[in-house]
Amino acid sequence: MLRLIFSNILRRFTICSLAMALIASAPVRAATPSFTVGWSVYVGWNPYYYMAKSGILRRWAAKYGIDIRVQRFDYAPSLDAFVAKNIDACAMTNMEALDMPAAAGVDTTAIIVGDYSNGNDAVIVRQNLTLAQIPGKQVMLVEKTVSQYLFERAMAINGLAAQIRQVHYLNTSDSDIASAFLTNPSKPVVVTWKPLVSQILKAKDVKVVFNSSQIPGEILDLLVVRSEVLNRADGSGQKFAKAITGAWYEVLKLMSAPGPASDKVLTEIAEASQDSLVSYREQLATTHMFYTPQAAAEMASSADIRKTMDLVRRFCFQHGLLGEKTQSVDDVAVQFPDGAVLGKPERIRFRFSAAYMQLAAQGKL
Amino acid sequence: MSFLRIHAQPGRTAVWTLSWFLFAAGIVVYFYVAEQRHRENPDDRVMPTISQMVRGFSDAALKPAEEEETQTGGGSSIVARFRASMLWKDTLASGRRFVISVALLFPAVLLGLHMAMFPVIGAFFLRFILFFDKIVALSLLPILFIAFGIDELSKIMLIVIGVAPTIILDTFNLSKSVPREQVVKGFTLGASDFSITYRIVFKQIWPRVLNSIRLNLKAVMLFLFAGEMIASTDGLAYRIALLRRHMGMDIIIPYVLWVALLLFLVDFGMNKLNHKLHPWFEER
Repeated sequence: MLRLIFSNILRRFTICSLAMALIASAPVRAATPSFTVGWSVYVGWNPYYYMAKSGILRRWAAKYGIDIRVQRFDYAPSLDAFVAKNIDACAMTNMEALDMPAAAGVDTTAIIVGDYSNGNDAVIVRQNLTLAQIPGKQVMLVEKTVSQYLFERAMAINGLAAQIRQVHYLNTSDSDIASAFLTNPSKPVVVTWKPLVSQILKAKDVKVVFNSSQIPGEILDLLVVRSEVLNRADGSGQKFAKAITGAWYEVLKLMSAPGPASDKVLTEIAEASQDSLVSYREQLATTHMFYTPQAAAEMASSADIRKTMDLVRRFCFQHGLLGEKTQSVDDVAVQFPDGAVLGKPERIRFRFSAAYMQLAAQGKL
Repeated sequence: MSFLRIHAQPGRTAVWTLSWFLFAAGIVVYFYVAEQRHRENPDDRVMPTISQMVRGFSDAALKPAEEEETQTGGGSSIVARFRASMLWKDTLASGRRFVISVALLFPAVLLGLHMAMFPVIGAFFLRFILFFDKIVALSLLPILFIAFGIDELSKIMLIVIGVAPTIILDTFNLSKSVPREQVVKGFTLGASDFSITYRIVFKQIWPRVLNSIRLNLKAVMLFLFAGEMIASTDGLAYRIALLRRHMGMDIIIPYVLWVALLLFLVDFGMNKLNHKLHPWFEER
């Protein structure tokens, strides 16, 4: 009995002290606004790892009086976390930005156009198969992602759009797709991305029949922020966008230094995906990085991006990625830096902003 | 405070209320939060409201599956529509894998029994299976792909490899726990090795083994889902994996509840059958 009473007192005491600790820590937290950026392993996003590790990000965050945390996720969970509003910013492609947060009503703004896939994504076949021979056969890919987009664009560009319906997709998780394809000679086609592509191409009798360099600028890798964070009344969201953009271009400048000067930086960036310098350089070769803010801002404001987003949103709508109850492709509208809108103006969900990239270009960050 | 003591005797209504309380609380909290999220963002897909889920589920259960939109018969009965639906096709595909895998667990029972009864067989298998039981099959996927391909066989083998060792070892232990005296007595009455094995030991442990298989259904389901998420063209987990790409929670949640219901029914059915077959068996 005594013991019971004692444990009861002890419990109460613990709860009290916990509560007090919480109260005590609350004001400290409120003093500096803190933001979380989610990223996943990919050649164009690995710089976030280096940005945090090298202290560059901390320096920029301190300059604007905020805290920025960088967290690594697997790709799909990072999207989930962003849609659920657990993180404030996230690295994702233009397609996912449209069909995940934007289509789920989370108003999203792309503040950095980092790169586009210029051969990173590829359609690989066995035994010299041609695209025209694929209908009726099984294709391994992660369904309803850029892989499927790439494949269907390849078919459409080659005048085979009508036969897409005869292709049998085999939905395969990206963590196993390379080994599953390599060990199963009965599966003739796979669509995936680097570094898996490089791994698969080491095998005999396989070759690339189509890759993303044939649709340049269509698979864009972005940093997106929730628009409501960006528009916070206290201006902290703006500070966050400025700090992360500043840090990003500082890292990119180090990366693009000519010759061996960049080796050390690239080696450390490659660490993010447990890659070697050689392998990371090979991946960079098929990635069109926008190393300067000028080039990135130009891309975000170009007419090409409008065409791309139109193709992407139609693909998403056709495949039900904008939601079953979305009646029209115009219901998830996209706005471009000059204010032009694709879709219904009252339903803008995804915005491209060149503002921060332009500030970086003008050296005003 | 006597109602919290060991000898408390809650009435019928009290038991009923208490046992449903957590369900009610869960549902209320869910819909309260969902409602709030929808007020804030009408397009929210993370926590669908009840009407969205009903619509999502009725679409999944009554609309023809995507691939054969051509043969839509407008006036056909609900049963016919259900049988053409996405949900039915997925359930059938997953159900087939499930039934085959569970059927393949029965040879595992025989192996465990023989290992316990015949020392040479036991010596041959026991150590290896004890080791094999601790292997996390999911992490050896690439090897499984080489051995079994990536079609149906690999999914079924993943389940068998994952669950069979547990069943073998359980059967082994149960067989060993049959009193030695019964075996000796059987021999003095002139029984053969096999009649001892099957008519004395197996008869006694069988209902417990069934119980053990029943308790492992959850593990079977976990491996089945893992397999379908890795590579497949149909099945319940395949659908869930696809819907996750665009946060189709309005269909995912009803799907998960549907799986829970099916699993519950199988569990309930096996339990009832076990008691029907072995009325003398009292453990539950």
